[in-house]
Amino acid sequence: MDIQRLETSRLFDRLGFGPRPGEYAQALKDGVPTLRARLTTIPDASLNISPVIEPEITDLGRPPAANSPEVVAFAIALRSQTQAMVLWWLDLMALSGHGLTERMVWFWHGHWATSIEKLNFPLPMFKQNKVFRTHALGDFNAMTKAMLNDGALQFWLDGQDNTVKAPNENLGRELMELFVLGVNRYTEDDVKAISRVLTGYQVVRTNGTVTINQNRRDTNPVTLLGKTGVFTGDTLSDFLVARDDCATFISERLWYRFISSTEVMPAGFSAKSAFAGRNITAAVQAMAADSAMQDPKNAMVKSPVEWFISACRALELTPSQLQTTAQLNGYLDKLGQVPFKPPNVGGWPAGEAWLSSATSQYRLAFAFWLVKQSGLTALTQIPRELRVRRSADWLGVPEWSSRTQSSLRSALDDPVQFALLALCSPEYIVSA
Amino acid sequence: MDTISRRRFLKLTTGAVAVGISANFLTLDEIAEAAIDRPLAPGTPIVVIVTLYGGNDGLNTVIPFKDPIYFSSRPDISYTVESMLPLDSELALNPSMTGIKSLWDQKKVAIVRGVGYPKPDRSHFSSMAKWQTASPGKAVNSGWLGRWLDSQPEDPMLAISLGSVLPPMLSGTKISGSALPLGGLVIPKGAFASQCIKLSKPAPTDSKLMAAAATSMRNLFSVSTAIQPILRAPAPVAVDLPTVNGGNAGGGSDLSQQLDVVAKLIAAGSPTKVWSVSLGGFDTHANEANAQAELLGVVSSSLTRFMSQLKSTTRLNDVTVMVYSEFGRRVKGNASQGTDHGTSGPMFLIGEKVKGGFYGDQPSLSKLVDGDLAVTTDFRDVYATVLESILKSPAEQILGKWSGRTNFLTPA
Repeated sequence: MDIQRLETSRLFDRLGFGPRPGEYAQALKDGVPTLRARLTTIPDASLNISPVIEPEITDLGRPPAANSPEVVAFAIALRSQTQAMVLWWLDLMALSGHGLTERMVWFWHGHWATSIEKLNFPLPMFKQNKVFRTHALGDFNAMTKAMLNDGALQFWLDGQDNTVKAPNENLGRELMELFVLGVNRYTEDDVKAISRVLTGYQVVRTNGTVTINQNRRDTNPVTLLGKTGVFTGDTLSDFLVARDDCATFISERLWYRFISSTEVMPAGFSAKSAFAGRNITAAVQAMAADSAMQDPKNAMVKSPVEWFISACRALELTPSQLQTTAQLNGYLDKLGQVPFKPPNVGGWPAGEAWLSSATSQYRLAFAFWLVKQSGLTALTQIPRELRVRRSADWLGVPEWSSRTQSSLRSALDDPVQFALLALCSPEYIVSA
Repeated sequence: MDTISRRRFLKLTTGAVAVGISANFLTLDEIAEAAIDRPLAPGTPIVVIVTLYGGNDGLNTVIPFKDPIYFSSRPDISYTVESMLPLDSELALNPSMTGIKSLWDQKKVAIVRGVGYPKPDRSHFSSMAKWQTASPGKAVNSGWLGRWLDSQPEDPMLAISLGSVLPPMLSGTKISGSALPLGGLVIPKGAFASQCIKLSKPAPTDSKLMAAAATSMRNLFSVSTAIQPILRAPAPVAVDLPTVNGGNAGGGSDLSQQLDVVAKLIAAGSPTKVWSVSLGGFDTHANEANAQAELLGVVSSSLTRFMSQLKSTTRLNDVTVMVYSEFGRRVKGNASQGTDHGTSGPMFLIGEKVKGGFYGDQPSLSKLVDGDLAVTTDFRDVYATVLESILKSPAEQILGKWSGRTNFLTPA
């Protein structure tokens, strides 16, 4: 395989949500270093005007009594705000000028995996998404501190039930296992100790406001990972994030989500040393330049949302404009990936888990629905005799197999079917 | 990287739809094919596990209607005595559970009271993990029925979960159960089908994951003509329920769709001894009364319909249904007309071979443990009986040394 085509394709697929029409061919002309620099340079925030209008997500307050007249309006507002929030995020993924930021927000959403299924209110989830946006490529310690004060995460992991009288270990355990250090890098005694440190948080579920109730706090010294002292949320974050295990764990997670969910991270993966100062951009830039990006072993299955957004970009579609939103929800739900609804605190599955015959059927139906709504301008502009070969550039695919070429050739007279087959081909479902 | 960590046991509190980590995915076709080639021997016992995710409020399911503490503890969410469905002089079913009440009257329902495990854990994830691994004291990486699968000859058809996520209960250390995504598979037809088939052929340049992607599409088309009739056949008719617009009343919910498929495949002879279905949404911290009644109504009508469907098959006497949730809820209602995570709750066992009645002691409302209901029966008592008396397997291999039993079956 042509290494430049492979690396270019991976940079688009993994540091963003795939190329728009024309971008892949242009990037091949520019060369990998130029593309890599462009994708991993953080744009000046003052110039970063969002292409998507922010929805108005409000505090809906306590639900009115069941069977009261007000309950209908409440239920409608709940549903429409939740819907608007999902569409806002999908639109940002598809339209944002800086794909890496969106890609990192998506990564952190799967990392600090919180589901609206438990919160039941959109505002805390919306605020959490904003926290991911603020810290997506910033300082991991600042992000951890912000997440400890995030109402959605606190509520999701029963932080508000964790009091000096009745400790609840849910958040403390996951903070070490899934968010900062990695499994088995602590003892059960450390889980008890960290849970005592995290007592006293209280959450207003409807809006995600977090306060600390001093009466519920356990302010006695604890011994955590060998250190005895009185911690606050902030000093706890300082202590955990400074540990070597944190650099190991975050680089493992970057590897697993951006490089390979099947190959083991090599000890020399450069993101780890680059994360020494806990700067996320530094780790991501090192990862983007790591030789692993060229290793043909490191293929990744596109998750349903990644596949969908890439398809929207190639087809020049805007998620919120698709007819209808209910159908869009249905497809994402059938494929098993609705934003804001990860299946559990461990985040989204990866790899072959997305490749069952059931998902392949739903993907075909989803792709057909999308292709019908696209003008297919980019595809039909390619002269018919060049269409098979150049459609690989259109979609950012390094190369079509002889099998897929043969299938595409049989659909040359029907652009809808051609696009459908290309989007459902093994070469597009999998980032090579 | 070790993905077989505790994470596998962390399940969402309501119907998770994401694809599980290590499930074997089955298609209806594969199951139907197995049903034709090697049907389950007639008379083989079958167990259908119904998991209620979110923590079902046991106290508003089997209600101690003579106890004034019930009414005073939860004034906002207690039912009126007139609306309840009395089971005996002290306990009544939730008003929405009319179908199960009628099965109870036919002595086909065993209700095990106060079921839980030592040192109750109020986290959904950990508590569900304890129930599904049957190892409340120590975290283990296998489910109780997964360990049973480990003890059986390997067969992907032996234990099947409906929906695309494999519940941890069916993960063994060597062998796991299979997941059957719902919704059936609508297979492309005609010229487009032949293009898809072309697209799903193996290519020499495929990476391992691309080959897997091609295989997954190819499997869509690997339906032999012999099994089409089974797939097309309607679910068995519920013989003694009224029909609505040609279908039986009570259909339409996700649980009844799952049970429809189970009934169809049991009728076809699928070589499956364990089925797993589920319903989510029981985490009723707020505005509980309506939400829970609606859910319990779904459980009741779906199961009643399922048992009725089995009457038109040869397997009615072989099937036992077991219903559980990860915990019950607090006795006291909270400030939002709901209840918070609690401890013990009732389990239901339903079937022709079940000896109807109550088992285990009703936890007292005046002798609470830390404000919560006491655990009077360990769930392992019930599991041990399911393993020994239904699955005909030694319980010790799966549960360790465990002496308790809940003998809810009629003596053979």
